[in-house]
Amino acid sequence: MIVLGIETSCDETSVALVKDGKTVLSNVVLSQIDIHKEYGGVVPEIASREHVKGVTLVFDQAIKKAGLKYSDVDLVAVTEGPGLIGSLLIGVSAAKVIAMNYQIPLIGVHHIAGHIYANNLEREIEFPCLALVVSGGHTELILMKEHFDFQKLGETQDDAVGEAYDKIARVLNLPYPGGPQVDKLSAIGQDRYNFPRPMIDTNDYNFSFSGLKSHVINFHHNMVQRNEEINNADFARSFQEAVTDVLVQKTSKAAKEYQVKQIIVAGGVAANRGLRAKMLERITFVPVYFPSMQFCTDNAAMIAAAGYFKYQKTKLVSDYYLNADSRLKLQ
Amino acid sequence: MNLPSKLLAIDTATKSIYLALLIDGKTVDSISQEGESNHSVTIMPLIDQLLIKQQLQLNQIEGILVGIGPGSYTGVRIGVSIAKMIAYLNSIELYSFSSLALLASCSESMNILSSIDARRGNAFLSTYQQTNGILTVVNQDQLTNLETFKAGLSEVHDLITEGMPKIEKLINSNLIYQVADVHALVPNYLQITEAERNKAI
Ligand SMILES: [Zn+2]
Repeated sequence: MIVLGIETSCDETSVALVKDGKTVLSNVVLSQIDIHKEYGGVVPEIASREHVKGVTLVFDQAIKKAGLKYSDVDLVAVTEGPGLIGSLLIGVSAAKVIAMNYQIPLIGVHHIAGHIYANNLEREIEFPCLALVVSGGHTELILMKEHFDFQKLGETQDDAVGEAYDKIARVLNLPYPGGPQVDKLSAIGQDRYNFPRPMIDTNDYNFSFSGLKSHVINFHHNMVQRNEEINNADFARSFQEAVTDVLVQKTSKAAKEYQVKQIIVAGGVAANRGLRAKMLERITFVPVYFPSMQFCTDNAAMIAAAGYFKYQKTKLVSDYYLNADSRLKLQ
Repeated sequence: MNLPSKLLAIDTATKSIYLALLIDGKTVDSISQEGESNHSVTIMPLIDQLLIKQQLQLNQIEGILVGIGPGSYTGVRIGVSIAKMIAYLNSIELYSFSSLALLASCSESMNILSSIDARRGNAFLSTYQQTNGILTVVNQDQLTNLETFKAGLSEVHDLITEGMPKIEKLINSNLIYQVADVHALVPNYLQITEAERNKAI
């Protein structure tokens, strides 16, 4: 089954063609990162403008790269949420045109389901499986007992981990996007500042990063006030160690309690090298998998994969009234 | 201009969705449906209904006419995205027109002021003169204060903010423009984003 995937939830216009939810035939990503860099973050109106500018060209590149015709497509899968509403609407509108033009079934996909299924593109997911979803908008532990069955074990009570990374990067005057910069710096730093590990020992699977974020920002502010020299690498490392200690500890505990066969890490922060290393070092009783770097960031191949399994499981297709939902819940 | 036989016209720059189906230069059906902020939900079902009534399928359309604004940013992007996709998928001609010119086509008056609300007293507006059903642009599309602009007009104008457009009038008035590169078409926003303005300061 050939699935055409569409992802436009934030600042990437992406179209992919994927066979049977695992074989990527093409995955074209038009990134706007260089445009938003100048503003220190994604500007929603600019993102929407760029999506409408690039949309048909990305489709054209994807179908040509895959060596297919649109009439070969069996299912159209599109991110319906969550994300920036103006951005989501471009993808959803384009998806409906393809579906109507070629009489192909249409299915809406949750963005996080996409990130989870990015893992299936390189290695089939085995159940029960524990997914740690970490990105600029999400920090969640999700238990999957079978395909397209998501049980949320816990989530952040405030900031997403990627959000905290971006704030710390700003304090250190690192360019946007900050997360990868903090990760890079921390590789050459020492954990010297002993930042708190919020909620590390609580008896649940929830997270909290806003307290840690404020602590780190205040700490930095006080050092500046006292004219103390700040080693950015040590600072970044200390923050990263605190965050990853919590993530790894809670993931490990959940994996044991639910006796999962594997752990998968999903979302943009899954690309974090510090997190990858600590996961593999501390969790040895069960395999831990990460998508390769190209599938960690937003892409349409993951949406096509998730759409395939959603369709297999539910056979529920959307009609032309499908709407984008910026706050869609994962079910 | 020699237009293809089966044309679909789309405009989503105002609070109404306008759709029309033209066959051999005649409007065989048209819809102007008001819907505050759900153009994205209703537009494809409306296109579907329009086509079904004429026993046509989307891939049998031979040309697309689309309003590129100015007007509601989110709204106009939906129409432009859909028009680009239909034109691209079927390799058919794409024509653009001003959403304000389309509004002007609702009026039978000699002097017409088309206006789409842009908040804080501002409007996207333009003026037209009409003779024998032919529209001529007098003041080009602009974003300005509506009251100030009105005060500066020497003649009485029919102020049009909604109505039932007639796409044929735009075609006859040569107010549609063939799009050379479908991929490159973007809405006419008439202004850069706030973020870009703030950066420039
Ligand atoms: Zn994402």
